[in-house]
Amino acid sequence: MVDMPKVAVLFGFGINCDHETKAVFDLVGGQATRVHVNHFINGNRSLEEFQILAVPGGFSFGDHLGSGRLLGNRMRFALREQLHAFVAAGKPIIGICNGFQVLVKTGLLPGPAAGEDILPDFVQRASLTLNDSGRYEDRWVTLEFDSNSPCIWTKGITRIDCPVRHGEGKFVLPSTTDFDMLAANNQLTVRYVDPATEKGKGITDELLPFPLSPNGSMRNIAGVCDATGLVFGLMPHPEAIYAKWLHPDHTRNTAPGPELTDALGEWEGEGLQIFRNAVDYAKANL
Amino acid sequence: MVVTRVEVTPKQGEGMRDVRGDSVRRQLLSDHDINASDVRSIVGFLIQSEISGEEIAQRADDLFTDPIIEIGSTNQLAISNSEIFTETPDCVITIGFKPGVTDNPGKAALDGFQTIFPQATNAEISTYITYAFYGLPSDCDSQWLAGTIHNGLIQRAIISDSNACQNGQWAEIEFPQRPPQVFTTPDNINLEISDEALEELSYKGLLALNLEEMQTIQGHYRDETTRNLRAAAGISPDAPTDVELECLAQTWSEHCKHKIFASKIHHIDTETGEDSIIDSIFKTHIMNPTHDMQGEVDWLLSVFHDNSGVIAWDDEWSICMKAETHNSPSALDPYGGAMTGIVGVNRDILGTGLGARPIANTDVFCFGPPNWEGDLPDNLFHPSRVLRGVHAGVRVGGNESGIPTVNGAIVFDDRYIGKPLVYCGTIGIMPRRLADGRESHIKTPEAGDIVYMVGGRVGYDGIHGATFSSLELTEESPSSAVQIGDPITQKKMVDMILEARDTGLITCITDNGAGGLSSSIGEMAEYTNGCEIDLAKVPLKQAGLSAWEILVSESQERMTVAVKAEDCAAFDALAALHEVEATAVATFTSTGYFHVKYEDMTVAYLPIEFLHDGVPQLQLESEWKTPQIKPFAPPTQSDHNDLLLRMLARPNITSKETWVRQYDHEVIAQTVVKPFVGVERDGPGDAGLIAPIHGNPHGIVVSCGIAPRYSDIDAGAMAAAAIDEAVRNAVCVGVDVDKIAGLDNFCWPDPIESVKTPDGKFKLAQLVRANRELERVCRAYRLPCVSGKDSMKNDYGSGEGKISIPPTLLFSLFGDQPDVRFTATSDLKGAGERLYLVGSSKQELGASEIAYMLSESGEAEGIGGEVPQLANPESQLNTYRALSKTIQSGLVRTAHDCSEGGIAVAVAEMCIGGRCGANIDLDGTGSGDVWGRMWGESLGRIVVGVSAGNEADFVEAMAGHSITLLGISTVGDTLIVSDGYDELVELDVDSLVTAWQGTLDLTGGVA
Repeated sequence: MVDMPKVAVLFGFGINCDHETKAVFDLVGGQATRVHVNHFINGNRSLEEFQILAVPGGFSFGDHLGSGRLLGNRMRFALREQLHAFVAAGKPIIGICNGFQVLVKTGLLPGPAAGEDILPDFVQRASLTLNDSGRYEDRWVTLEFDSNSPCIWTKGITRIDCPVRHGEGKFVLPSTTDFDMLAANNQLTVRYVDPATEKGKGITDELLPFPLSPNGSMRNIAGVCDATGLVFGLMPHPEAIYAKWLHPDHTRNTAPGPELTDALGEWEGEGLQIFRNAVDYAKANL
Repeated sequence: MVVTRVEVTPKQGEGMRDVRGDSVRRQLLSDHDINASDVRSIVGFLIQSEISGEEIAQRADDLFTDPIIEIGSTNQLAISNSEIFTETPDCVITIGFKPGVTDNPGKAALDGFQTIFPQATNAEISTYITYAFYGLPSDCDSQWLAGTIHNGLIQRAIISDSNACQNGQWAEIEFPQRPPQVFTTPDNINLEISDEALEELSYKGLLALNLEEMQTIQGHYRDETTRNLRAAAGISPDAPTDVELECLAQTWSEHCKHKIFASKIHHIDTETGEDSIIDSIFKTHIMNPTHDMQGEVDWLLSVFHDNSGVIAWDDEWSICMKAETHNSPSALDPYGGAMTGIVGVNRDILGTGLGARPIANTDVFCFGPPNWEGDLPDNLFHPSRVLRGVHAGVRVGGNESGIPTVNGAIVFDDRYIGKPLVYCGTIGIMPRRLADGRESHIKTPEAGDIVYMVGGRVGYDGIHGATFSSLELTEESPSSAVQIGDPITQKKMVDMILEARDTGLITCITDNGAGGLSSSIGEMAEYTNGCEIDLAKVPLKQAGLSAWEILVSESQERMTVAVKAEDCAAFDALAALHEVEATAVATFTSTGYFHVKYEDMTVAYLPIEFLHDGVPQLQLESEWKTPQIKPFAPPTQSDHNDLLLRMLARPNITSKETWVRQYDHEVIAQTVVKPFVGVERDGPGDAGLIAPIHGNPHGIVVSCGIAPRYSDIDAGAMAAAAIDEAVRNAVCVGVDVDKIAGLDNFCWPDPIESVKTPDGKFKLAQLVRANRELERVCRAYRLPCVSGKDSMKNDYGSGEGKISIPPTLLFSLFGDQPDVRFTATSDLKGAGERLYLVGSSKQELGASEIAYMLSESGEAEGIGGEVPQLANPESQLNTYRALSKTIQSGLVRTAHDCSEGGIAVAVAEMCIGGRCGANIDLDGTGSGDVWGRMWGESLGRIVVGVSAGNEADFVEAMAGHSITLLGISTVGDTLIVSDGYDELVELDVDSLVTAWQGTLDLTGGVA
């Protein structure tokens, strides 16, 4: 049992959402530190010190050779054992935007199929590629979560608004069988939905038009988890709606969010619960 | 060494598409009306290394190819594989970089390559992209096509035309080997020559020094004491070395020394009879007012002398801001020029005090009309291409650096075809005090400190940028003045430097921008009164650069940082951790000399005082005569419905959402008021509002104002309008008007009378008037200018075909916002809001958007007449303060600035943002006729919406200020504008949206 789970927030090489990612974990009772990737690679520090790992958004290595590829490679080659041990110890990992791309390119997401050995094997099975629009865009989307997902990060969350800020967010799997397997195990954790739909009933496999789906992602997928439910990645930025004043509707007095919380009172935004879920999970299980 | 070629192309199939190719297809459609049936892309890598092709092929899927979505091939052209490319294309064009041009994908690929092959230390990687075109119209020339998708200044294009495609003869691009550079020993330059020869020397050597300046340098080397000291130092006693002459030219350039703003001006006003002398516009009208205000408030921490102006924001944090222009480089290479503009101004923030963190960017562009159909002078790009390139450069530079773009503008006028203006600004934040107790806005260097060059290496790119930008653009402008930025190298450097700052390792820091090391170390050496540099220690991109080239090269992504000798080991270790190159190249001294060596040889030995204060003051002539412009006479019969729809579609008014949405405006999770607001997030935001400390709603407002066309009538009015617009925008989100600071960025055509510029006296008088208004308004608004910049040679060509930009002041503002939970946006908040006009309208239609539109279409004559004036800024400030307080107290949640297109456009935009109708009456809103009240651009006006429940409190709070009830927002979706009993406009909101959003889409449709 830990009181204040320690969170390693990676930075370096073009990661750029490290400050706000650290901040959201701190707001919900975590104890987050920004740690340069090379500290883990050089052995100055060890992932073992931490209960939660976050790979924030950014433009690691400028997205050249495919987003997340080069940082993914550094981690795949140099941190293989540490990452395997981290998941094996039941510790949560999140990748947001570029961090999601990194986790996909390292093979941590979606990871081995549900079955016997579901721990990381570092085989790339999916990819994130250029948005169908051909453009990088910053725009707000509506997300809905699979309530049956094993993902420990998304428990109890139905729908949130948050921004996407990417040029390569189209989630791709080689075959429909792959999708069906992930769907059967509820690993297609979060999808883009039409905000006009009834809350809780927005998820559809039918491709939504731009800009409801900002990137043409197959089955409108915004994020997936691995079979353990510990590793979670998504393209949108839940940390960017940690407070209601960041919601575009806040001057209209219609920004959604919880009624009252410890973190920011009536001003907590919808995104913070994702981070609170992991901190609470770590408190209860590690 | 062998060169291995790896090519990668997207897989085709269900749900998969070639997005890169498709973007080019849609661009051809949008810009040139060419509807190709398909465009496919291949990304290529040329790897020069000691690793064999076979070994690389085995690992290609680990690095170059993403096997889920791509097909790779090694040492075989993908286009020649008929299984991948089953149809024969009409044309294949491959675009690669010219030798020595920054290749960011190549650099990243090399990093990845060395992760897999650590032994490949000498490897180099060059990248290219190939496009295969299908279904082109038969008259589409392949050379022309290649010209539309590459810039010959920095790129190469290799073409397989339709014949070659039919015969399967695919052109192969080769590795761009750089020609060897030969180090030449510093030369001594004989200055004992005639005046004509001195001028020739300056002109041919791109020194941009005038005769008097050349003579001043000549005089320095004639001085007996100087000669003796130089002989003792072991350097040519009576003639400068090429290193010294180049160093002086950079340091004394208009770009670095602002000689026009510092000049002594003889000013004549032919109308008032004034005949006076102004000893430095800068000191008189900008610096003195700010220094006076510094005595009255306690929050102005650092003004003018550092890389940006710093103000105290709260007890823990200070904030700073800087804006720069990058006009000339952006004219030659819009992408690279603009990118180096934004990452360059980021470094100004990093180089402020002991290092500030950039947290927000602003971008303001002035371009020729995107739909221009007239002639283009040689060597100039079409405005739509400049727009695309500049936008892409700023987008990549800002997004990859993780700095949100929170505010900006795009302005169009024919004259910007000659020189686009690319203003880039950045706001920074730093702790008031470091852990060691030092105030972080104060640099603390001492003699003996070690000076590092940190970040990128020095190359042949970027030589003569400062002097080049001090000359007018010509057909022969040099390509070496153009560079491409490398945001990731810079991001690593920013991370490292901020960590070094927080651990107390930095005593002094500045940016390497214009003038390179000569300027950066030269300026810092003023603190300790001397330095000694060894140029041989400077890491180079390519061996063989001569001493003067190393000293003045403006290669990007470099900071100069001073560290105490005992802290060097810790600094080196931090650099290694971040994989940032940091090299000790100099030492601060107190000798009074800028002493430059190459190994043991002294190559420059210049007194610090002469280097920095030796440039003679310019003496200039200014003469004002009011330009005679035919007054704007509105047509007698007009359909205001039609006018409103056409006005909304004007490039200067239309939505820029397609472009702005491609900037990350929300990274750092702090942006409260975004560039687009409202129900559909597509109404205009007036100012950026950020809350940078996570969990704390304390805010910073960022806004801007620009009104270049008012210069056609009076540049003074232009300046006042720009300042007032910046303040109005800030008030709209609830700024604390008693804590605002400004930045003045002047872009002017050459105002020095000469054969090339016969109207120089008038252009200088415009500058005088602009600065006098700047002083008057800023003093009244208690708005200190804390930093600024000028760019004074914004002309293209000379003689008949000369194009001069309209004199343009960009006024940027940053200020305090007490609590972002209480702010306002422009969108109507639903039916029943009471709409008030704060301020009042006068008959001021001169140089207005409606005047330009109707005179361009021939429906009216002239654009002249009364231009908007700020008659009483003192009372205006009181009104702004009162209004801002109603926003800060939560009474008002809807406010929108009223500028181009007047009240009609402002209210239409509010309806668009709210997807809500409104019914307003212009009767009683001012003294002018209906044209003045509906379309006029009088200053000091803001349209406010207040709920019925808050109306009484609002009216009470605004007692004593000019407010007029305009009308009400309505349940339907119709905008009705009346003037008393006359109904002028009745339009549904959808038609407003369509009109406002069409003009600048330029995407060729969403895929």
